[in-house]
Amino acid sequence: MGVTQDLSFVQLISHASVLVQLVMGLLLLVSLMSWWYIFLKMFAIRDEARLTAEFEEAFWHNQNLNELYKYANSSSLREQGALERIFAAGFAEFLKLKKQQGVDADAVTEGSRRAMRATYQREMDRLESHLAFLASVGSVSPYVGLFGTVWGIMNAFRGLANVGQATLAHVAPGIAEALVATAMGLFAAIPAVLAYNRYAHDINRLSTRFDSFTEEFSNVLQRQP
Amino acid sequence: MSATAYYEPYRLPAGILALLVHSVFFALLYLGLSWNRQAYLPPTMSVELWPSIPEEVVAPPVNPKIEAMQPPQKKMAEPDIAIPDKKKVAAKPEKKPDLKPVEVVKPKPKTDTQKPVEQKPDTRVADQQAASIQAERIKQEEQAAAKNKMVDEYKAKIMAKIRRNVVMPPDVANNARAEFLVTLLPGGAVLKTELKKSSGNAAYDNAVERAILKSDPLPLPPDAQLFNRFRELNLVFRPTE
Repeated sequence: MGVTQDLSFVQLISHASVLVQLVMGLLLLVSLMSWWYIFLKMFAIRDEARLTAEFEEAFWHNQNLNELYKYANSSSLREQGALERIFAAGFAEFLKLKKQQGVDADAVTEGSRRAMRATYQREMDRLESHLAFLASVGSVSPYVGLFGTVWGIMNAFRGLANVGQATLAHVAPGIAEALVATAMGLFAAIPAVLAYNRYAHDINRLSTRFDSFTEEFSNVLQRQP
Repeated sequence: MSATAYYEPYRLPAGILALLVHSVFFALLYLGLSWNRQAYLPPTMSVELWPSIPEEVVAPPVNPKIEAMQPPQKKMAEPDIAIPDKKKVAAKPEKKPDLKPVEVVKPKPKTDTQKPVEQKPDTRVADQQAASIQAERIKQEEQAAAKNKMVDEYKAKIMAKIRRNVVMPPDVANNARAEFLVTLLPGGAVLKTELKKSSGNAAYDNAVERAILKSDPLPLPPDAQLFNRFRELNLVFRPTE
Protein backbone atom coordinates (compact mmCIF):
# COMPACT_ATOMS: atom_id res chain seq x y z
CA MET A 1 0.00 0.00 0.00
CA GLY A 2 2.14 2.85 -1.22
CA VAL A 3 1.60 6.55 -1.31
CA THR A 4 0.70 6.34 -4.96
CA GLN A 5 -2.72 4.84 -4.42
CA ASP A 6 -4.81 4.86 -7.54
CA LEU A 7 -8.36 5.15 -6.29
CA SER A 8 -10.33 4.35 -9.38
CA PHE A 9 -13.83 3.07 -8.97
CA VAL A 10 -13.03 -0.46 -10.11
CA GLN A 11 -10.22 -0.75 -7.62
CA LEU A 12 -12.40 0.55 -4.85
CA ILE A 13 -14.67 -2.43 -5.35
CA SER A 14 -12.09 -5.06 -6.21
CA HIS A 15 -9.89 -4.23 -3.19
CA ALA A 16 -12.71 -4.46 -0.68
CA SER A 17 -12.99 -7.45 1.61
CA VAL A 18 -15.21 -10.39 0.73
CA LEU A 19 -18.01 -9.47 3.10
CA VAL A 20 -18.09 -5.90 1.85
CA GLN A 21 -18.18 -7.20 -1.71
CA LEU A 22 -21.07 -9.48 -0.78
CA VAL A 23 -22.92 -6.58 0.76
CA MET A 24 -22.28 -4.50 -2.32
CA GLY A 25 -23.48 -7.31 -4.57
CA LEU A 26 -26.64 -7.72 -2.51
CA LEU A 27 -27.29 -4.01 -2.63
CA LEU A 28 -26.75 -3.95 -6.37
CA LEU A 29 -29.29 -6.74 -6.77
CA VAL A 30 -31.75 -4.99 -4.48
CA SER A 31 -31.24 -1.75 -6.30
CA LEU A 32 -31.83 -3.39 -9.67
CA MET A 33 -35.02 -5.00 -8.40
CA SER A 34 -36.27 -1.83 -6.81
CA TRP A 35 -35.69 0.11 -9.99
CA TRP A 36 -37.42 -2.60 -11.97
CA TYR A 37 -40.44 -2.34 -9.69
CA ILE A 38 -40.27 1.43 -9.80
CA PHE A 39 -40.62 1.40 -13.58
CA LEU A 40 -43.15 -1.44 -13.51
CA LYS A 41 -45.34 0.43 -11.06
CA MET A 42 -44.83 3.69 -12.87
CA PHE A 43 -46.17 2.24 -16.12
CA ALA A 44 -48.93 0.32 -14.34
CA ILE A 45 -50.21 3.28 -12.35
CA ARG A 46 -49.99 5.60 -15.33
CA ASP A 47 -52.03 3.11 -17.40
CA GLU A 48 -54.49 2.62 -14.59
CA ALA A 49 -55.06 6.35 -14.22
CA ARG A 50 -55.57 6.68 -17.99
CA LEU A 51 -57.98 3.74 -18.20
CA THR A 52 -59.91 4.95 -15.18
CA ALA A 53 -60.33 8.38 -16.70
CA GLU A 54 -61.41 6.86 -20.04
CA PHE A 55 -63.95 4.57 -18.42
CA GLU A 56 -65.42 7.29 -16.24
CA GLU A 57 -65.82 9.41 -19.36
CA ALA A 58 -67.51 6.57 -21.20
CA PHE A 59 -69.72 5.67 -18.27
CA TRP A 60 -71.12 9.14 -17.71
CA HIS A 61 -71.66 9.89 -21.38
CA ASN A 62 -73.19 6.57 -22.34
CA GLN A 63 -76.28 5.72 -20.39
CA ASN A 64 -76.70 2.33 -22.04
CA LEU A 65 -75.26 0.01 -19.41
CA ASN A 66 -75.72 -3.14 -21.48
CA GLU A 67 -73.58 -1.72 -24.23
CA LEU A 68 -70.88 -0.73 -21.78
CA TYR A 69 -70.96 -4.19 -20.22
CA LYS A 70 -70.56 -5.84 -23.58
CA TYR A 71 -67.70 -3.56 -24.44
CA ALA A 72 -66.00 -4.16 -21.10
CA ASN A 73 -66.17 -7.93 -21.53
CA SER A 74 -64.91 -7.82 -25.08
CA SER A 75 -61.89 -5.58 -24.47
CA SER A 76 -58.53 -7.25 -24.03
CA LEU A 77 -56.96 -7.70 -20.63
CA ARG A 78 -54.54 -4.92 -21.29
CA GLU A 79 -57.19 -2.39 -22.21
CA GLN A 80 -59.40 -3.38 -19.31
CA GLY A 81 -58.90 -1.05 -16.40
CA ALA A 82 -59.62 -1.81 -12.76
CA LEU A 83 -62.69 0.37 -12.82
CA GLU A 84 -63.99 -1.45 -15.87
CA ARG A 85 -63.58 -4.76 -14.11
CA ILE A 86 -65.36 -3.44 -11.03
CA PHE A 87 -68.22 -2.27 -13.21
CA ALA A 88 -68.35 -5.59 -15.08
CA ALA A 89 -68.43 -7.59 -11.85
CA GLY A 90 -71.13 -5.42 -10.34
CA PHE A 91 -73.27 -5.42 -13.45
CA ALA A 92 -72.92 -9.19 -13.99
CA GLU A 93 -74.10 -9.81 -10.44
CA PHE A 94 -76.96 -7.37 -10.98
CA LEU A 95 -78.09 -9.16 -14.13
CA LYS A 96 -77.92 -12.56 -12.46
CA LEU A 97 -79.94 -11.42 -9.45
CA LYS A 98 -82.42 -9.65 -11.71
CA LYS A 99 -83.16 -12.90 -13.57
CA GLN A 100 -84.05 -14.71 -10.36
CA GLN A 101 -87.61 -14.21 -9.26
CA GLY A 102 -88.53 -13.15 -5.76
CA VAL A 103 -85.41 -11.14 -4.96
CA ASP A 104 -86.24 -7.66 -3.79
CA ALA A 105 -84.54 -4.54 -5.13
CA ASP A 106 -82.47 -3.91 -2.00
CA ALA A 107 -80.98 -7.39 -2.07
CA VAL A 108 -80.11 -6.98 -5.77
CA THR A 109 -78.27 -3.72 -5.13
CA GLU A 110 -76.57 -5.16 -2.08
CA GLY A 111 -75.42 -8.23 -3.99
CA SER A 112 -73.95 -6.25 -6.83
CA ARG A 113 -72.25 -3.94 -4.35
CA ARG A 114 -70.63 -6.94 -2.64
CA ALA A 115 -69.42 -8.22 -5.98
CA MET A 116 -67.93 -4.81 -6.78
CA ARG A 117 -66.31 -4.69 -3.35
CA ALA A 118 -64.58 -8.01 -3.95
CA THR A 119 -63.28 -6.94 -7.33
CA TYR A 120 -62.21 -3.61 -5.92
CA GLN A 121 -60.15 -5.32 -3.22
CA ARG A 122 -58.52 -7.61 -5.74
CA GLU A 123 -57.67 -4.67 -7.94
CA MET A 124 -56.22 -2.74 -5.02
CA ASP A 125 -54.09 -5.72 -4.12
CA ARG A 126 -52.82 -5.84 -7.69
CA LEU A 127 -52.03 -2.13 -7.72
CA GLU A 128 -50.31 -2.24 -4.36
CA SER A 129 -48.19 -5.26 -5.18
CA HIS A 130 -44.43 -4.66 -4.92
CA LEU A 131 -44.97 -1.47 -2.96
CA ALA A 132 -44.02 -3.26 0.24
CA PHE A 133 -40.76 -4.25 -1.40
CA LEU A 134 -39.99 -0.64 -2.24
CA ALA A 135 -40.76 0.37 1.34
CA SER A 136 -38.46 -2.32 2.74
CA VAL A 137 -35.66 -1.37 0.38
CA GLY A 138 -36.05 2.24 1.35
CA SER A 139 -35.80 1.54 5.05
CA VAL A 140 -33.39 -1.37 5.20
CA SER A 141 -30.78 -0.90 2.49
CA PRO A 142 -29.05 2.04 4.20
CA TYR A 143 -28.49 -0.21 7.19
CA VAL A 144 -27.17 -3.00 5.02
CA GLY A 145 -24.78 -0.54 3.39
CA LEU A 146 -23.77 0.77 6.79
CA PHE A 147 -23.06 -2.74 7.95
CA GLY A 148 -20.72 -3.25 5.02
CA THR A 149 -19.03 0.05 5.76
CA VAL A 150 -18.55 -0.67 9.43
CA TRP A 151 -17.09 -4.04 8.59
CA GLY A 152 -14.74 -2.52 6.02
CA ILE A 153 -13.59 0.18 8.41
CA MET A 154 -13.02 -2.42 11.10
CA ASN A 155 -10.76 -4.28 8.73
CA ALA A 156 -8.97 -1.10 7.74
CA PHE A 157 -8.19 -0.30 11.34
CA ARG A 158 -7.17 -3.84 12.13
CA GLY A 159 -4.70 -3.63 9.27
CA LEU A 160 -3.40 -0.43 10.80
CA ALA A 161 -2.45 -2.28 13.98
CA ASN A 162 0.15 -4.30 12.09
CA VAL A 163 1.90 -1.25 10.74
CA GLY A 164 4.53 0.37 12.88
CA GLN A 165 3.98 3.91 11.76
CA ALA A 166 0.33 4.70 11.41
CA THR A 167 -0.45 7.15 8.66
CA LEU A 168 -3.65 8.21 7.06
CA ALA A 169 -2.47 6.64 3.82
CA HIS A 170 -2.80 3.22 5.42
CA VAL A 171 -6.45 3.55 6.41
CA ALA A 172 -7.81 5.94 3.82
CA PRO A 173 -8.15 3.44 0.93
CA GLY A 174 -9.83 0.90 3.21
CA ILE A 175 -12.31 3.47 4.43
CA ALA A 176 -12.99 4.67 0.91
CA GLU A 177 -13.68 1.09 -0.17
CA ALA A 178 -15.97 0.55 2.78
CA LEU A 179 -17.86 3.76 2.14
CA VAL A 180 -18.80 2.55 -1.33
CA ALA A 181 -21.17 0.13 0.44
CA THR A 182 -22.96 3.00 2.15
CA ALA A 183 -23.13 4.89 -1.11
CA MET A 184 -24.77 1.92 -2.79
CA GLY A 185 -27.19 1.46 0.08
CA LEU A 186 -28.26 5.07 -0.24
CA PHE A 187 -28.44 4.78 -4.01
CA ALA A 188 -30.88 1.91 -3.61
CA ALA A 189 -32.82 3.51 -0.77
CA ILE A 190 -33.44 7.06 -1.96
CA PRO A 191 -35.34 6.25 -5.19
CA ALA A 192 -37.20 3.47 -3.43
CA VAL A 193 -38.45 5.79 -0.70
CA LEU A 194 -39.38 8.49 -3.19
CA ALA A 195 -41.17 6.02 -5.43
CA TYR A 196 -42.96 4.40 -2.53
CA ASN A 197 -44.33 7.69 -1.28
CA ARG A 198 -45.36 8.79 -4.74
CA TYR A 199 -47.02 5.52 -5.66
CA ALA A 200 -48.77 5.14 -2.31
CA HIS A 201 -50.26 8.57 -2.86
CA ASP A 202 -51.28 7.80 -6.46
CA ILE A 203 -52.87 4.49 -5.48
CA ASN A 204 -54.69 6.17 -2.64
CA ARG A 205 -56.22 8.63 -5.08
CA LEU A 206 -57.21 5.83 -7.47
CA SER A 207 -58.80 3.93 -4.63
CA THR A 208 -60.87 6.96 -3.71
CA ARG A 209 -62.06 7.20 -7.30
CA PHE A 210 -62.98 3.50 -7.33
CA ASP A 211 -64.85 3.90 -4.05
CA SER A 212 -66.90 6.83 -5.21
CA PHE A 213 -67.63 5.09 -8.51
CA THR A 214 -68.91 2.03 -6.61
CA GLU A 215 -71.28 4.21 -4.63
CA GLU A 216 -72.51 6.08 -7.68
CA PHE A 217 -72.94 2.92 -9.70
CA SER A 218 -74.97 1.36 -6.88
CA ASN A 219 -77.29 4.32 -7.08
CA VAL A 220 -77.59 3.90 -10.83
CA LEU A 221 -78.42 0.21 -10.39
CA GLN A 222 -81.02 1.00 -7.77
CA ARG A 223 -82.73 3.29 -10.24
CA GLN A 224 -82.80 0.52 -12.90
CA PRO A 225 -86.27 -0.86 -13.64
CA MET B 1 -53.77 -14.94 -5.24
CA SER B 2 -50.07 -14.33 -5.19
CA ALA B 3 -48.55 -11.10 -6.38
CA THR B 4 -46.78 -12.65 -9.33
CA ALA B 5 -49.97 -14.06 -10.79
CA TYR B 6 -51.16 -10.64 -11.86
CA TYR B 7 -50.92 -9.64 -15.43
CA GLU B 8 -48.06 -7.19 -15.76
CA PRO B 9 -47.52 -6.00 -19.30
CA TYR B 10 -44.46 -3.84 -18.66
CA ARG B 11 -42.01 -6.37 -17.29
CA LEU B 12 -39.50 -6.15 -20.08
CA PRO B 13 -39.39 -2.39 -20.64
CA ALA B 14 -39.22 -1.80 -16.90
CA GLY B 15 -36.33 -4.24 -16.60
CA ILE B 16 -34.48 -2.62 -19.48
CA LEU B 17 -34.99 0.83 -17.96
CA ALA B 18 -33.76 -0.37 -14.58
CA LEU B 19 -30.61 -1.75 -16.19
CA LEU B 20 -30.20 1.49 -18.08
CA VAL B 21 -30.41 3.57 -14.91
CA HIS B 22 -27.77 1.44 -13.27
CA SER B 23 -25.44 1.44 -16.20
CA VAL B 24 -25.69 5.23 -16.42
CA PHE B 25 -25.04 5.50 -12.70
CA PHE B 26 -22.01 3.26 -12.79
CA ALA B 27 -20.69 4.89 -15.92
CA LEU B 28 -20.86 8.24 -14.12
CA LEU B 29 -19.10 6.75 -11.12
CA TYR B 30 -16.45 5.15 -13.28
CA LEU B 31 -15.76 8.31 -15.23
CA GLY B 32 -16.17 10.72 -12.37
CA LEU B 33 -14.50 8.82 -9.61
CA SER B 34 -10.88 8.80 -10.66
CA TRP B 35 -9.37 10.59 -7.76
CA ASN B 36 -5.65 10.73 -7.22
CA ARG B 37 -4.57 9.84 -10.72
CA GLN B 38 -1.45 11.85 -10.02
CA ALA B 39 -0.28 10.87 -6.62
CA TYR B 40 0.60 13.74 -4.37
CA LEU B 41 4.25 13.56 -3.42
CA PRO B 42 5.20 15.82 -0.56
CA PRO B 43 8.34 17.85 -1.13
CA THR B 44 11.24 15.93 0.31
CA MET B 45 13.05 17.44 3.22
CA SER B 46 16.22 16.04 4.67
CA VAL B 47 16.98 16.65 8.29
CA GLU B 48 20.38 16.25 9.87
CA LEU B 49 20.33 15.08 13.43
CA TRP B 50 23.25 16.33 15.47
CA PRO B 51 23.99 14.91 18.87
CA SER B 52 25.21 18.28 20.15
CA ILE B 53 25.25 21.81 18.89
CA PRO B 54 28.58 22.63 17.25
CA GLU B 55 30.32 25.80 18.35
CA GLU B 56 31.02 27.00 14.85
CA VAL B 57 30.27 25.50 11.52
CA VAL B 58 33.53 24.33 10.02
CA ALA B 59 33.66 25.22 6.39
CA PRO B 60 34.64 22.30 4.23
CA PRO B 61 38.14 22.86 2.86
CA VAL B 62 38.26 23.80 -0.76
CA ASN B 63 41.92 23.03 -1.20
CA PRO B 64 44.69 21.71 1.03
CA LYS B 65 45.90 25.21 1.89
CA ILE B 66 42.73 26.36 3.53
CA GLU B 67 42.48 23.05 5.19
CA ALA B 68 45.84 23.68 6.76
CA MET B 69 44.39 26.76 8.27
CA GLN B 70 41.82 24.94 10.28
CA PRO B 71 43.89 24.75 13.47
CA PRO B 72 44.16 28.52 13.94
CA GLN B 73 40.45 28.79 13.57
CA LYS B 74 40.05 26.70 16.67
CA LYS B 75 42.18 29.14 18.63
CA MET B 76 40.24 32.14 17.50
CA ALA B 77 39.14 33.06 20.95
CA GLU B 78 42.70 33.75 22.09
CA PRO B 79 43.58 37.40 22.08
CA ASP B 80 47.20 37.16 20.95
CA ILE B 81 47.59 36.77 17.26
CA ALA B 82 51.27 36.86 16.60
CA ILE B 83 52.57 34.25 19.01
CA PRO B 84 50.99 31.03 17.75
CA ASP B 85 52.40 31.50 14.24
CA LYS B 86 55.54 29.43 14.47
CA LYS B 87 54.07 27.00 16.82
CA LYS B 88 51.34 26.34 14.37
CA VAL B 89 53.58 25.64 11.41
CA ALA B 90 55.52 23.22 13.47
CA ALA B 91 52.52 21.75 15.10
CA LYS B 92 50.68 21.20 11.90
CA PRO B 93 51.74 17.65 11.13
CA GLU B 94 50.85 16.48 14.60
CA LYS B 95 47.58 18.25 14.80
CA LYS B 96 46.17 17.16 11.57
CA PRO B 97 45.47 13.54 12.38
CA ASP B 98 43.47 14.68 15.41
CA LEU B 99 41.34 16.98 13.38
CA LYS B 100 40.43 14.65 10.63
CA PRO B 101 37.46 12.98 12.27
CA VAL B 102 36.03 16.37 13.21
CA GLU B 103 35.89 17.68 9.70
CA VAL B 104 32.83 17.36 7.60
CA VAL B 105 34.57 16.52 4.35
CA LYS B 106 37.49 14.20 4.59
CA PRO B 107 40.67 15.66 3.18
CA LYS B 108 42.36 13.66 0.50
CA PRO B 109 44.95 11.44 2.06
CA LYS B 110 47.41 11.99 -0.76
CA THR B 111 47.94 15.70 -0.16
CA ASP B 112 48.05 15.20 3.54
CA THR B 113 50.98 12.95 3.49
CA GLN B 114 52.91 15.03 1.01
CA LYS B 115 52.60 18.35 2.72
CA PRO B 116 54.63 17.89 5.86
CA VAL B 117 57.59 16.66 3.84
CA GLU B 118 57.58 19.71 1.60
CA GLN B 119 56.92 22.31 4.23
CA LYS B 120 59.53 21.62 6.81
CA PRO B 121 62.69 22.33 4.90
CA ASP B 122 61.31 25.23 2.87
CA THR B 123 61.11 28.24 5.16
CA ARG B 124 59.94 30.57 2.42
CA VAL B 125 56.92 28.52 1.80
CA ALA B 126 56.31 28.47 5.54
CA ASP B 127 56.56 32.25 5.70
CA GLN B 128 54.17 32.65 2.84
CA GLN B 129 51.80 30.29 4.50
CA ALA B 130 52.10 32.12 7.78
CA ALA B 131 51.26 35.38 6.08
CA SER B 132 48.28 33.91 4.34
CA ILE B 133 47.19 32.29 7.58
CA GLN B 134 47.30 35.64 9.26
CA ALA B 135 45.34 37.29 6.49
CA GLU B 136 42.82 34.56 6.59
CA ARG B 137 42.52 34.81 10.31
CA ILE B 138 41.94 38.54 10.18
CA LYS B 139 39.28 37.98 7.60
CA GLN B 140 37.62 35.34 9.70
CA GLU B 141 37.83 37.52 12.75
CA GLU B 142 36.10 40.27 10.85
CA GLN B 143 33.42 37.86 9.80
CA ALA B 144 33.04 36.65 13.36
CA ALA B 145 32.82 40.20 14.59
CA ALA B 146 30.11 40.92 12.02
CA LYS B 147 28.30 37.81 13.11
CA ASN B 148 28.57 38.78 16.75
CA LYS B 149 27.25 42.19 15.93
CA MET B 150 24.34 40.64 14.10
CA VAL B 151 23.66 38.31 17.01
CA ASP B 152 23.74 41.18 19.49
CA GLU B 153 21.49 43.24 17.28
CA TYR B 154 18.91 40.49 17.05
CA LYS B 155 19.12 39.72 20.73
CA ALA B 156 18.36 43.37 21.38
CA LYS B 157 15.47 43.15 18.92
CA ILE B 158 14.11 40.10 20.71
CA MET B 159 14.38 41.81 24.06
CA ALA B 160 12.69 44.90 22.70
CA LYS B 161 9.85 42.92 21.21
CA ILE B 162 9.28 41.04 24.44
CA ARG B 163 9.53 44.17 26.54
CA ARG B 164 6.89 45.84 24.43
CA ASN B 165 4.51 43.04 25.35
CA VAL B 166 5.15 43.08 29.07
CA VAL B 167 2.13 44.26 30.96
CA MET B 168 3.72 45.59 34.10
CA PRO B 169 1.96 44.45 37.26
CA PRO B 170 1.74 46.95 40.10
CA ASP B 171 4.23 47.08 42.97
CA VAL B 172 7.24 45.67 41.21
CA ALA B 173 10.47 46.59 42.90
CA ASN B 174 12.90 48.46 40.68
CA ASN B 175 15.67 46.00 41.34
CA ALA B 176 13.60 42.96 40.39
CA ARG B 177 15.45 40.69 37.98
CA ALA B 178 13.84 37.75 36.24
CA GLU B 179 15.97 35.34 34.23
CA PHE B 180 14.38 33.16 31.58
CA LEU B 181 15.74 30.39 29.41
CA VAL B 182 13.85 30.54 26.13
CA THR B 183 14.11 27.67 23.67
CA LEU B 184 13.41 28.63 20.07
CA LEU B 185 12.62 26.74 16.93
CA PRO B 186 14.07 27.72 13.55
CA GLY B 187 11.76 30.43 12.34
CA GLY B 188 11.51 32.08 15.72
CA ALA B 189 8.68 30.12 17.30
CA VAL B 190 8.98 29.80 21.04
CA LEU B 191 9.28 26.13 21.97
CA LYS B 192 9.36 26.64 25.71
CA THR B 193 10.23 29.12 28.37
CA GLU B 194 11.78 28.27 31.64
CA LEU B 195 12.11 30.53 34.63
CA LYS B 196 15.76 30.28 35.63
CA LYS B 197 15.74 32.81 38.40
CA SER B 198 12.63 34.31 39.82
CA SER B 199 12.49 38.02 40.45
CA GLY B 200 10.83 37.33 43.76
CA ASN B 201 7.62 38.77 42.41
CA ALA B 202 5.48 36.03 40.92
CA ALA B 203 3.25 38.54 39.14
CA TYR B 204 6.24 40.02 37.34
CA ASP B 205 7.58 36.56 36.41
CA ASN B 206 4.23 35.63 34.94
CA ALA B 207 3.93 38.91 33.10
CA VAL B 208 7.32 38.38 31.48
CA GLU B 209 6.53 34.79 30.57
CA ARG B 210 3.25 35.85 28.97
CA ALA B 211 5.09 38.55 27.09
CA ILE B 212 7.59 36.01 25.74
CA LEU B 213 4.81 33.75 24.54
CA LYS B 214 2.92 36.69 23.11
CA SER B 215 6.00 37.80 21.17
CA ASP B 216 6.04 34.51 19.27
CA PRO B 217 7.55 34.48 16.64
CA LEU B 218 10.65 36.23 17.81
CA PRO B 219 12.79 38.05 15.24
CA LEU B 220 15.71 35.98 14.02
CA PRO B 221 18.56 36.92 11.69
CA PRO B 222 18.01 35.80 8.09
CA ASP B 223 21.29 33.88 8.15
CA ALA B 224 20.21 30.38 9.15
CA GLN B 225 23.71 29.52 10.33
CA LEU B 226 23.37 31.96 13.16
CA PHE B 227 20.35 30.15 14.53
CA ASN B 228 22.58 27.99 16.70
CA ARG B 229 23.30 31.06 18.77
CA PHE B 230 19.59 31.61 19.26
CA ARG B 231 18.46 28.09 19.97
CA GLU B 232 18.60 28.69 23.70
CA LEU B 233 18.46 32.25 24.87
CA ASN B 234 19.15 33.33 28.39
CA LEU B 235 17.19 36.51 28.78
CA VAL B 236 17.32 38.83 31.76
CA PHE B 237 14.45 41.20 32.41
CA ARG B 238 14.40 44.18 34.69
CA PRO B 239 11.37 46.37 35.18
CA THR B 240 13.37 49.57 34.77
CA GLU B 241 14.67 48.89 31.30
